[in-house]
Amino acid sequence: MREELLRSFVDMDEQEAVRIARELVETEGGAVAVLDTCKEAMEEVGRLFEAGEYFLSELIAAGDMFNQIMEFTLPKLQGEEVASLGTMVLGTVQGDVHNIGKDIFKVMAEASGINVIDIGIDVPHEKFVEAIKEHKPELVGMCCLITLGVDSMKRTIEVIKEAGLRDDIKIIIGGGRVSQAVMEHVGADAWADDAARGVRLSKELLGKE
Amino acid sequence: MVSPEAKKLAEERAARMQAALDLKEPDRVPFTGLGGDVIPAYAGITSYEYEFDFEKNRQAAVKWFTDFPSDSAPRVGLGGLDNQSMGVAFQDYPEIVSGVNSVNGPMNDVLKMKFVRFPGRELDENSARQFIGGKNMEPEEYDQLIADPVKFCFEVIMPRISGGLKDLGSPASLATMARFGLEKARQDAEMAKTMQALMELGYYFAPRGVCLAPLDLISDQLRDIPNLILDLRRYPDKVKAAAEALVEPMVKMGTMSIKAGAKECFIPLHLNEYLSPKQYNEFYWPTLKEVILKLVEAGMKVQVFFEGWHDAHLETILELPAGWGTAYFEKTDVRKAKKLLQGHTCIMGGIDVSDIISLTPAQLDENIKKLFDEMAPGGGFIFSPNIGTCPRETPIENVRAVYEAVEKYGKY
Ligand code: B12
Repeated sequence: MREELLRSFVDMDEQEAVRIARELVETEGGAVAVLDTCKEAMEEVGRLFEAGEYFLSELIAAGDMFNQIMEFTLPKLQGEEVASLGTMVLGTVQGDVHNIGKDIFKVMAEASGINVIDIGIDVPHEKFVEAIKEHKPELVGMCCLITLGVDSMKRTIEVIKEAGLRDDIKIIIGGGRVSQAVMEHVGADAWADDAARGVRLSKELLGKE
Repeated sequence: MVSPEAKKLAEERAARMQAALDLKEPDRVPFTGLGGDVIPAYAGITSYEYEFDFEKNRQAAVKWFTDFPSDSAPRVGLGGLDNQSMGVAFQDYPEIVSGVNSVNGPMNDVLKMKFVRFPGRELDENSARQFIGGKNMEPEEYDQLIADPVKFCFEVIMPRISGGLKDLGSPASLATMARFGLEKARQDAEMAKTMQALMELGYYFAPRGVCLAPLDLISDQLRDIPNLILDLRRYPDKVKAAAEALVEPMVKMGTMSIKAGAKECFIPLHLNEYLSPKQYNEFYWPTLKEVILKLVEAGMKVQVFFEGWHDAHLETILELPAGWGTAYFEKTDVRKAKKLLQGHTCIMGGIDVSDIISLTPAQLDENIKKLFDEMAPGGGFIFSPNIGTCPRETPIENVRAVYEAVEKYGKY
């Protein structure tokens, strides 16, 4: 059944994937199997996206399937040990309200085993600082789709520095407006304008690959 | 008064743009100029003042366009946010469409759109205005949209998105429309003053039409993008029929300004980057292509803004007749586009606004030199930032570097 779930998920057969997952989750050890299989499927979808075979449309559909399946799978996982690679605080920076890309990246990062704390869109600089203090993440992810967000990221990183927290975390930036030059300009550690690459780099920053 | 020198300058600028549109080599590479929130910052006023006060807006524009001259008809006046579903609702009344299609700050004080936020209102005085979007239609409503898009946009959607018109026919809604008329008349008079001030500086104005790809109207304004992406798999036939039903309203929106002298229609694309070639060719391109062909038939050139990455769909542009118009690119490399489209399509773009913010003047100078070496020969190229807006914090020395490089390297 795992193989069928994997196939139908990767082939974007929503009804079939959800149906199999519902069945599998009721079996002995099924919840863990569903979780692992869906993670594997998300990884495969990410690979196909990086290879240019899949597009944003598939990432959105896959993210939606993943969320649908997790909704009935996660409650059954309580008490199980679910390994986490580390924690990331993620938000779209102040002045910017785009969230589609951030949400895609979030699902893929979660599926890869990163524990993501999503602090939303149009996030004030200080809110990043508060979230870092509260959740003690290894990683901070910032998303930015508009040019105004570039200076917003820069300012956020300055405020994180002023709070004395910069050395405790690695910062990765993503979204349509980022590039190597922007990364250097704002003082981040890595950048990615595609989710699959972003997940790979995040794992590297966590020392997990 | 517009002096003879200013008039001559305006004619030169217009001719430069026209030559590129006609796929020829002008005297210099035409440049659309930079703009956006950096204009009020340069004038030392807040974004709130720039977006609500015509007098200050005009002064800021005059200062900017004096110090930083460019070739295309300048985009001046209060900036607005897209509201095309309401444009469709009023498509038989062009004088209303031009006021509701894109909603600016003072107009929003009247219409009270649910999905926009402005500086000095919901936002800080120096924030950029925000279109938040959202879902305004349920999948069960596709049939209504298909049956009569105009009626649907008017009766169902408009009351949902406009606080001032939520109760159609009520005294409050009638008062909203009366206030809209007063505000529109005031704005038209103010705009005439702004245009006059810029014409005195040697600029020209040309009205142009605007419309959307039919599927973008559904995803931007009605269902929102993630929902529409899921609809493509869940209700493919309904989505297709809805896009087809919107071809005619979009053509009508695009051509309605021909009477006022428009020769060009602008179409910004949003979903293109999201779709696989298979989806693009099945759901998106057929109706977009039909709209473009009808605009061309009506005598217009079309400027399509291919937002995001358009690489996967680039070749479909060749299905349009040569000389149809301009392909404006955001992330797709204009050099790559030129290899494919030279002699067929005018290409616009070339510099990433992120670079204008984060590189040095020397780097920008060098990049533009290299770009022109490759893009200028053969003509049919308009130099432009990849997106229209530079933020307030854009370093002015970098802005200068861009204009100086155009001056230095742009000569044919
Ligand atoms: C969809 C869209 C919208 C939607 C957003 C819906 C939503 N809920 O997100 C709506 C309609 C609401 C909208 C609003 C506006 N938009 Co808009 N929008 C777009 C559009 C068409 C697509 C953006 C997008 O979703 N791309 C797809 C996603 C998946 O890509 P992505 O975010 O880059 O994400 C990928 C990677 O970067 C990565 N990733 C994402 N986040 C992260 C985070 C980390 C840490 C990592 C590692 C990776 C990562 O994973 C994703 C998958 O690979 C773009 C044009 C374009 N095609 O890019 C314009 C665009 C971004 N918008 C633009 C503008 C101007 C606006 C508005 C200001 C409207 C206006 N005209 O005034 C408002 C925004 C207000 C504000 N202050 O934010 C401009 C920005 C110009 C600029 N100034 O820089 C653009 C570029 C359009 C243009 N060419 O002019 N927009």
